[in-house]
Amino acid sequence: MKQKKSRKWVFIVVVLIILGLFSWFIAGIVSLFVGTDTATLSGNVALIPIKGLIVTESGRDVLGREVASSKEIVAFIEKADENKDIKAIIFEINSPGGTPVASEEIANAINKVNKTTVAWIRETGASGAYWIASATDHIIASRMSITGSIGVIGSYVEFAGFIERYNMSYQRLVGGEQKDLGDPFRRLTINEKRILQKKIDLIHGYFIEDVARNRNMKKEDMQKLATGIFYLGSEALDAGLIDAIGSKDEVEAFLKKELNITVINIAEYKKEATFWEMLSGVFNENSFFVGKGIGNALFERRVSNDIDIMT
Amino acid sequence: MRLKLPKEKMFTGPASIFRRFFAFLIDIIILDFVIIFPFRGILRDIMPNGSYKESYQFLTANSGYNTIILVVMVITGILSILYFALLEYKFNQSIGKMILGVFVKTDLKQKKFWQYLVRSIFLVPVFPFVILWVLDPLFMIFTKTHQRLSEILSKTRTVQSYSMG
Repeated sequence: MKQKKSRKWVFIVVVLIILGLFSWFIAGIVSLFVGTDTATLSGNVALIPIKGLIVTESGRDVLGREVASSKEIVAFIEKADENKDIKAIIFEINSPGGTPVASEEIANAINKVNKTTVAWIRETGASGAYWIASATDHIIASRMSITGSIGVIGSYVEFAGFIERYNMSYQRLVGGEQKDLGDPFRRLTINEKRILQKKIDLIHGYFIEDVARNRNMKKEDMQKLATGIFYLGSEALDAGLIDAIGSKDEVEAFLKKELNITVINIAEYKKEATFWEMLSGVFNENSFFVGKGIGNALFERRVSNDIDIMT
Repeated sequence: MRLKLPKEKMFTGPASIFRRFFAFLIDIIILDFVIIFPFRGILRDIMPNGSYKESYQFLTANSGYNTIILVVMVITGILSILYFALLEYKFNQSIGKMILGVFVKTDLKQKKFWQYLVRSIFLVPVFPFVILWVLDPLFMIFTKTHQRLSEILSKTRTVQSYSMG
């Protein structure tokens, strides 16, 4: 009787252990697919990274690299602003820019923040990324950082000549004269180019206006700097586009002085990539470099075929 | 001197609703530790810290997370069914039922495993099984035999021993 009872409990325990192990295993598999928005639990200064191309929606660029989504970043800014423990926000910027709408969304969100904001530009904080940086209270960059590039680009490759060369044609069927404006498969007329240029100038005007207001500069003075050229950090400092040269230490020193605190605990606001996102990113980048390598090798071979070595 | 007293008469009858409820509660606590606990981390990372309204709004805006939560709920449901089915099939009782002295009886000549799966199918939180969340308690309260609808369908009943005299 006792043996029967003990066998019963052994069976029960074994069932519980098996179910438990299975549960852990499944949870582990599911967690590979779940990317998490992490706001670290403690910290008095929020760090929001802005890395890669700045666009409105989350995802990856053509090389499978992560983009800086304005939707996500604005959400992080709002979270950090609502968090009573957070006294300031650092924007760690390493981006060549992005779309005007995405950049403006982030810049506007920064302008609404009621806390001290600092832009820490790493290698690149140009174009749309500079738009964002300009909205902060203080900009720090390395003397060799690439910044500025206050301009708008809408260039594209026109294939009209290419398709004509290969006896292909573009059949134009539009309702609305400018519907296929900018289509790469047909030639851009002078009038159409004027139209597109006007729109680009308009966006450029908004860009200059915002950045001038953010930096407390006159629009005319900013216009002189806004030729689209990039500035190194040291040049940007002289031009008044940034506030100081430095790195993370200088950012922390500024915040300690500004907030009158002695210790800075960083709380990083970022979205964790899932295992599959990391893996696909690695594969995409590897594939790109394999292709690049093959392309380079073919080019070298062609060049060497064309060069005759004579003695 | 040993008194020759008549043996106590026992019979089985429908288990009281309170015993069944508390037995189920004990089983749910055990399942919470064993099966649901590993998924807590994932659910905590997905769901925002906020009110139900904020959580609902978050899930509405992020439909991708709905799928993950549904998958997690279905998996935990299936594992929970297995807990009940394995123990009730083998011993006619789950751990909670053992503690509260209730057990499962089959209406068939020989018990079949499918019966013990079906009687716990309400644990899978997908349509149409979620309908049982409403129907099972109603049937349990208002039928003479106090059987849940799942028990009627699986031809089982939850009983306890009563003594006479």
